[in-house]
Amino acid sequence: MPSSAAGGPLTALSNELAAAVETVGRSVVAVHARRRIPASGVVWQPGIVVAAHHTIQRDDDITVTLHDGTTAAATLAGRDPSTDLAVLRLADGASAAAPPASPVSDVPRVGQLALALGRPGASVTASLGIVSAVGGEWRTWQGGTIDRFVRLDVAVYDGFSGGPLVDAAGRVVGVNTSGLARATALTVPAATVSRVAAQLLSRGHVARGWLGIATQPVRLPAALRRELNIEHDIGLVVVNVEPDSPADRGGVLIGDVLVSLDDRPVSDPADVLAALAGGERIGAAIALGVARAGRAERLTVTVGERPRGRR
Amino acid sequence: MGAAEAVFAGAPALEDQLGLISEALRRVTVQVRSGGRGAGAGVVWLRGGLIITNAHVAARPAAEVVLPDGRMVRARLLARDPRRDLAALRPAASDLEPALRADARGLRPGELVVAVGHPLGVAYAAALGVVHRTPGPAPGPAGWLHADIRLAPGNSGGPLADTAGRVVGINAMIAGGLGIAVPTHVVEGFVQHLGIARPGARAA
Repeated sequence: MPSSAAGGPLTALSNELAAAVETVGRSVVAVHARRRIPASGVVWQPGIVVAAHHTIQRDDDITVTLHDGTTAAATLAGRDPSTDLAVLRLADGASAAAPPASPVSDVPRVGQLALALGRPGASVTASLGIVSAVGGEWRTWQGGTIDRFVRLDVAVYDGFSGGPLVDAAGRVVGVNTSGLARATALTVPAATVSRVAAQLLSRGHVARGWLGIATQPVRLPAALRRELNIEHDIGLVVVNVEPDSPADRGGVLIGDVLVSLDDRPVSDPADVLAALAGGERIGAAIALGVARAGRAERLTVTVGERPRGRR
Repeated sequence: MGAAEAVFAGAPALEDQLGLISEALRRVTVQVRSGGRGAGAGVVWLRGGLIITNAHVAARPAAEVVLPDGRMVRARLLARDPRRDLAALRPAASDLEPALRADARGLRPGELVVAVGHPLGVAYAAALGVVHRTPGPAPGPAGWLHADIRLAPGNSGGPLADTAGRVVGINAMIAGGLGIAVPTHVVEGFVQHLGIARPGARAA
C-alpha cells in the first residue's frame, strides 16, 4: 500500500468516526427487558436511561449493562408508546459508571453522516449512513408528536432501537427506533426525547387531551355546508361516545357531525388528535362545532386526560 | 460551475484514497473456482504464493485460480478448516505479492473498512462500510469481525481492509445484513498450523 494513502483524508474521517463511537459509546447501554437479544439505551442525564418503548417488554426485572461491563438494576419510570420512548432509572450507585451523553437539539441536515450506535450485548456496535430526509413536526400513528421527521439511510440491525444517532463530531442528535415506521429507521430528535423524558420522570406517562369520541370522515352535502356557513366539504361523523367521557358530559351524541374545534375546521380524525396532543388543554374548555339534524350546534366540552393505556 | 466545484472540493481527496486502497487490494485478491457454483475470492497471504480463502469456497482438492493479472493457474488445496471457514491454496505461481495485514483486534467500532471481491460474479468490486463490532471472545462467527457493509456471495474469501489498505479479515458470511469476516489473528493461527517456513525465517 502506498504510504501516502495511510495518512489520507479517509483515514482522518475513519479516526473521527471511531473517536465519536468511543466517546458516545460510554453512554450507550444494553437494556435487558425482553427475550432473545437485548436492546440499546442512552444515558440521557445522570442516572436516567432513555430506551425504545417497544423493546421494553416487561415492567419489572429490568437490568442494563454499562460500558464497563457492569450490570445495574433499573426501574421503569414511564413509557410513551406514542413516541416509542421509555425512561429507566438506574439503581443508586450505578450512575458513576454511566456518564450521560450530551444531547444537542441541532436539527439534523439531509446528507450529513450519521452513526447509529447500539449495545445489544457486551460491546458497542456502530453503523454508518446518512440522514436521508428531514421534515417538520409530525404525528406518529399512535398520536405522538415528534418535533422533526428524521429518516435515516442506515442499516437496521437487531438491538439497534434505543441507541443514539451521532454525528461525525460525536454529538448525540437523537434516539433511533425501528418501532415508528415499517422497515425503515427513524430518529426521535433530542428535543423530543428531552421533553418526553421530563414528562415521564415527573408523571410516569405523557398526558394527552381526551374527548372520548370516535369519528370518521363524511362528505358534507352542499346544502348542509350552506346551512352551516362552512367551506370545507369533509366533516367527522361521531360513531362512538365513551360513557361518562368529556364528550358525553358535554352533550355530544352519536351521529353528530363534527366540523370544527375552536372554530378551526376539522376534516380528519388526526386533526382532533392534533388539537389535543400536547396535554396543555386538559381542564380547559374547547368549542365543538357540530351539525345535528341539519342544524349548526355549538357544544362546550371540558377536555379530559386520556386514560392510561388508551390510544 | 464554480458553486458546484466548491461543493465537491473536499471529495476528490477521499476518493483518491479509496481508489488507492481498492487498487492495492485488487493486486492481492484472486478469483477461486473449485467446482461449485460461481467463484469466490482469495487473498495472497505469503510471498511465494500461499492463498487464503474460505473453506466453503475451496471444497475440493484442486481449484482454478485467476490471478490479478488475468492468468489462470491450477492450485492445490493444502489445508482446510471448516470450523474457522478457512482454506489454504498453493497456486502454480510463485511471483505473487502478499497482502499487508493488521490485527483486527486493534480496530475500533466506527472505523471505515473496504472490501474487495466478486459479489454475484462482478469481478473486483469494492465496497465501503464501518466496523460494526470488533472481534470478541465468543467462539466462532459471533466472535469474529462484524462490519456494516454491503456484501454478496462472491465476496467470500476476499479481503476486508482498513483505510491503510491492510487486510484485517477474510470475508466469510453475511448474517442479518452484516458482513462477518474471519479476523487476521485467526487466519495467522491457521497458517502457522500449516508448518510453512515464513519468508526470512531461519531454519534452526
